[in-house]
Amino acid sequence: MRFSWTRALIVARREFLTTVKRKAFLFTLIAVPLYFGGIMTLASRGEMSGRRDSMRAFTRLGVVDSSGLYADATREITSRLAVDPTGAPGRLETYRTAVVFYPDQARLERALRSGEIAQGLTISADYLATGATRRYARSTGAFNSSSAVRPIERWLARNLLAGLADSLRIERATRTGGGMDLYTLGKDDRFEIKDDRREMLEFMVPFMVAILLGVCIMTGGQYLLQGVSEEKESRILESLLCTLSPEELLAGKLVGLGGVGFALVAVWIGAGAVLSAPMLAMAKLPLSPALLALAVAYFVLGYLFFASIMTGIGAVTNNMREAQQFSMMFSFANLLPIIVLTQILARPDGPLAVALSLFPFTAATGMMLRLGAPSSTVPAWQIAVSLALLAVSGWLVLRGAARVFRIGLLMTGKPPNLPEIWRWVRAGR
Amino acid sequence: MLEVRDIVKTFDDRAVVNRVSFEVRPGEIFALLGPNGAGKTTLIRMITDILKPDSGEIVLDGSRVGADSRRQIAYLPEERGLYRRVSPIDVLVYYGELKGLSAHAARSAGLALLERMELAEWATKQVQTLSKGMQQKVQFCTVLIGEPRLLILDEPFTGLDPLNTQLFEEILAERRAAGSTVLLSTHQMNKVEELCDRALMINRGHMVLYGSVREFRRQYADHAVILRCDRRPDTVAGVRGIEPLDGDWKLMLELSASPQAVLGALVSSGLSIESFAIASLPLEDVFVRVVREGLGLDHGRSGPAFPGEPASGGAR
Repeated sequence: MRFSWTRALIVARREFLTTVKRKAFLFTLIAVPLYFGGIMTLASRGEMSGRRDSMRAFTRLGVVDSSGLYADATREITSRLAVDPTGAPGRLETYRTAVVFYPDQARLERALRSGEIAQGLTISADYLATGATRRYARSTGAFNSSSAVRPIERWLARNLLAGLADSLRIERATRTGGGMDLYTLGKDDRFEIKDDRREMLEFMVPFMVAILLGVCIMTGGQYLLQGVSEEKESRILESLLCTLSPEELLAGKLVGLGGVGFALVAVWIGAGAVLSAPMLAMAKLPLSPALLALAVAYFVLGYLFFASIMTGIGAVTNNMREAQQFSMMFSFANLLPIIVLTQILARPDGPLAVALSLFPFTAATGMMLRLGAPSSTVPAWQIAVSLALLAVSGWLVLRGAARVFRIGLLMTGKPPNLPEIWRWVRAGR
Repeated sequence: MLEVRDIVKTFDDRAVVNRVSFEVRPGEIFALLGPNGAGKTTLIRMITDILKPDSGEIVLDGSRVGADSRRQIAYLPEERGLYRRVSPIDVLVYYGELKGLSAHAARSAGLALLERMELAEWATKQVQTLSKGMQQKVQFCTVLIGEPRLLILDEPFTGLDPLNTQLFEEILAERRAAGSTVLLSTHQMNKVEELCDRALMINRGHMVLYGSVREFRRQYADHAVILRCDRRPDTVAGVRGIEPLDGDWKLMLELSASPQAVLGALVSSGLSIESFAIASLPLEDVFVRVVREGLGLDHGRSGPAFPGEPASGGAR
């Protein structure tokens, strides 16, 4: 039978246009980035504002000095906090905390209870030998209780050394690690300064690509699953299959709905690039053409692989609910590398990361994460093997799916079991 | 036009269609009959190239059915549906383009069909807002668009009111006049009597009746004639029994007697005859008898069975 690309492209165009015109698509297009962007903004702003609130409230520190070492200590703590949530050097906010001494623990606790002081500090009698202190607060937030620790530690160090060393030495003693840069072996075998912030930004590009790739593949696959299920459920297929072959229908759906997934991610990436352009420009991050080419290759092959599976599932099940139950485990497999992200980042060339980047179900997202990991050097042969495995398995799954699609489309009732599906794959029609 | 030659289709070692052969002539409305599960849908799916026969061949206008015949065949399945969230005109443009029309031509043809179906004002509404009957008309339009030469209609009249049934029949007549051929699968035997010249009946995958609908009805009518006359007719040569029938008389003939000879004998007996007709059984009764008695299944071959044909076993 002759395959007609004309008919397949008519199907592709219809699938694409029908899907992108749906309200659900527009909702996904706009709401998903807004949702995740909102969550990330809230999380970073929330953390920052928690620390600032905590420092603003730290106006008075009550001290009980049993050691006698701090009788002449300064009665004010000055501390500075960076305002930029990324930690970039920039504007600093200054906070001043008055230090109030109490003769005993009971009075300090009373002052803390009445709100006279924000926190309390008791310095043990054997402080010089043991360094033992206790800090008291009425309550703290889960993650911002440590905001006041560093200013108190510096106050303790400065006043302990006061009179024993000049102010410069005292300052160095309180910030010993301030100028200690770390140099690590880079990808070109030269030691380079380790810039955590830049590293984070450099990682973000392939990380976001991996996430978008995973989302894109799954979105296209889900649209395909939904489309096949809907057509099967609403009994359109039989009249349609009189007009075009199942292979033409399948090819059209793959192209059209793959285009939907691609368009979705292209818009997200485009919008993301425009919005984050100043940050990327400031960091002078090069967007590697090789990385982009690999991302496209993994998208095409990964989509082909997963979409074929989804098509087969759509064809053998009776409705969307059944189809989603079957498809869930495959969706999970695609996103598995993101779930084990920390293990991949910790050992990007370890067995788990390598296996995930080669196994077709996880290769697309797994390899992109490995490529982005700061200390990773992925050998070219592994990329080649990964792409080859994905391409070959994608082709095999596509062929099998086409056969299952052909037979399953017109079947209703109990979904077939695995041996039956295997028989369909081996048979034709 | 369409020739089906000795086709067999087996599922799980069971022959669902077993050595079926028939021909549909250009411009005729041909009925495909059979009880539920007889193999009609499988047969249709092979004609539309959705399924491939295990053996035998299906030829449309001299060429085997396949990708090239798709534009010539349109199929309205019994279990049918439409895309619910698109408009009727978009559905028709889609089907039209798949059948090889340009987008512009498909739109023009689609609008003309909707106009003919009295659905013009619904052309741009979503299909899901249309009534069931209206949706059925849109489905019928999907079959008609592109002017295919062979229309395969499976229960096209189910659920239609009398006016729309009449509309469908008119359109079928128009298409037939324009040169289209129709393969009609239905359980509405009155529609077959009304519309079809010839028919094929299959049962359990075998051909059990094939030929002229009028002939079936006569052949299964116990070899009798219906007579309207001024008095009870006398028993003449060739008549083995007489029964009253709604004011007329039904004369059962001997197997060797010809109706012409009996008519001559009745006229000679001085009877004043108003009408004389060869009795025919309603097609529904023929259907019931053939299926219930398993006629045509005991030949050890696939082929039509007729009254009087020697049976290899069992009652006929």
